[in-house]
Amino acid sequence: MIPALRVSGLRVAYGSIVAVDSIDLEVREGEIYGLLGPNGAGKTSALSAIEGLLRPAAGDIVIGDVDARAHPLQAKAQLGVQLQTTSFHSSLTLVEIVRLYAGLYGVTLTSAQIRELLGQINLQKEASKRFRELSGGQQQRFSLLIATIHDPALVLLDEPTAGLDPQARRQLWDRIERFRKEGRSILLTTHSMEEAQAVCDRVAIMDHGKILTVGTPAALIAAHRDDPQVRQAAHGPVTLEDVFIALTGRELRD
Amino acid sequence: MRTSLSLVLTFALPLILLVATGLGKNSAALGGTEFRISLALTVGLVSIGTVGYSLAIARDRDTGVFQRLRVTPAPTWTIMVSRWIVQLGAVLVMAIVVLVVAALFVGVTLPPQDYLFTVLVALLGSAVFLSIGQAIVGLIASADTLNAAGRLLYVPLIGLSLFGDTDRLGTTVELVSRWSPGGCLETLLSAAMGATPWSGQLWGALFASFGYTVVFAVIGIRWFRWVSH
Repeated sequence: MIPALRVSGLRVAYGSIVAVDSIDLEVREGEIYGLLGPNGAGKTSALSAIEGLLRPAAGDIVIGDVDARAHPLQAKAQLGVQLQTTSFHSSLTLVEIVRLYAGLYGVTLTSAQIRELLGQINLQKEASKRFRELSGGQQQRFSLLIATIHDPALVLLDEPTAGLDPQARRQLWDRIERFRKEGRSILLTTHSMEEAQAVCDRVAIMDHGKILTVGTPAALIAAHRDDPQVRQAAHGPVTLEDVFIALTGRELRD
Repeated sequence: MRTSLSLVLTFALPLILLVATGLGKNSAALGGTEFRISLALTVGLVSIGTVGYSLAIARDRDTGVFQRLRVTPAPTWTIMVSRWIVQLGAVLVMAIVVLVVAALFVGVTLPPQDYLFTVLVALLGSAVFLSIGQAIVGLIASADTLNAAGRLLYVPLIGLSLFGDTDRLGTTVELVSRWSPGGCLETLLSAAMGATPWSGQLWGALFASFGYTVVFAVIGIRWFRWVSH
């Protein structure tokens, strides 16, 4: 089976600063893959390179069976992307934004279909509002709708639950779970270890541009359960967060 | 607020200038009726091209609109070209409004071909001022700084275009004014409206306008960044 995403030897540098240092990762079909790491670990840079926003210094990125570096537009057509901070044209209503982005992906939607899509995320009443007039949770739901408007096989989510209240977060995870059930693959970054442990099939812990370890949350916990640093970080049963802290250190990152 | 301000800058200000420059006793010293029309068009072009365009780009860059578009399969160049087309559309509308008001309320009517030439020169002028806007947005990352810089540039860009036909402030100012982006545009617009015959100076203004467009566009594209941080 072809993986949804295969990254090998990916290296991203900003001048002399290496943000992503020759990482390999593979997201399988129907898998939720979490890329975890402290601030500045290189998660967003890695994601940006996969999304085609950054030109990597080296490495291969294959999305489905498309070489993303050789055929960037074809690769982008197969990706659904939700960026860490997203905004849409301030003068357009939600309906107009849906129509615009559907058009960019070559999807034709009737007005009734657009209303139905907005209804699925409880934004039917907001159809004629501007994006900036929505609440944080509504904006996140709408961004995810736009990210998946073309029914992509692989969805990239950069800190999708950041700044959301528990209700909105729960709704978002339900939606992400639905994506998995529909057979899509998801690569996401998050700072919430609880969520990653609960939802991700596999996680990679990243720091200083390198992937330190990869595995299912349960496997990572089992593998590191007896490490002295993990024992020291744990307050009770060992969690993914304890493993994360033990591997990436306790010092604060900017 | 921002929308109403840009509407005033784009449409009301050129029309106010068109009417107001005919009220003073000494206004004829700056130029004739065609000068008033070309001044109104220049003000509109600076508003749309330099101030309006650069601000809109900086704002969209700051809020992540461009990044959102860049992850779609749309080729990157189409993102910018679509913005230029919108600005050219606005210039076209502004030019038509100014010419219609000039005909109805100032009493200036032109032969049909001169209307066509005037609109074409206005579009060329929009290329000059859009490229200046592109250079500004290429060199200045912050939307707030750009806002201030755009407003500061507005005054000399307009001011310089005022004195290309008069030596009231001295011949040096006249020379600089004549060959400034606004001055060149004034020269070309006057010719398009049939006020001045085609001459070497017009060729000079035409080449200078192309030169300004190329130089500022190269600067603006070379240093442009899709994100502000």
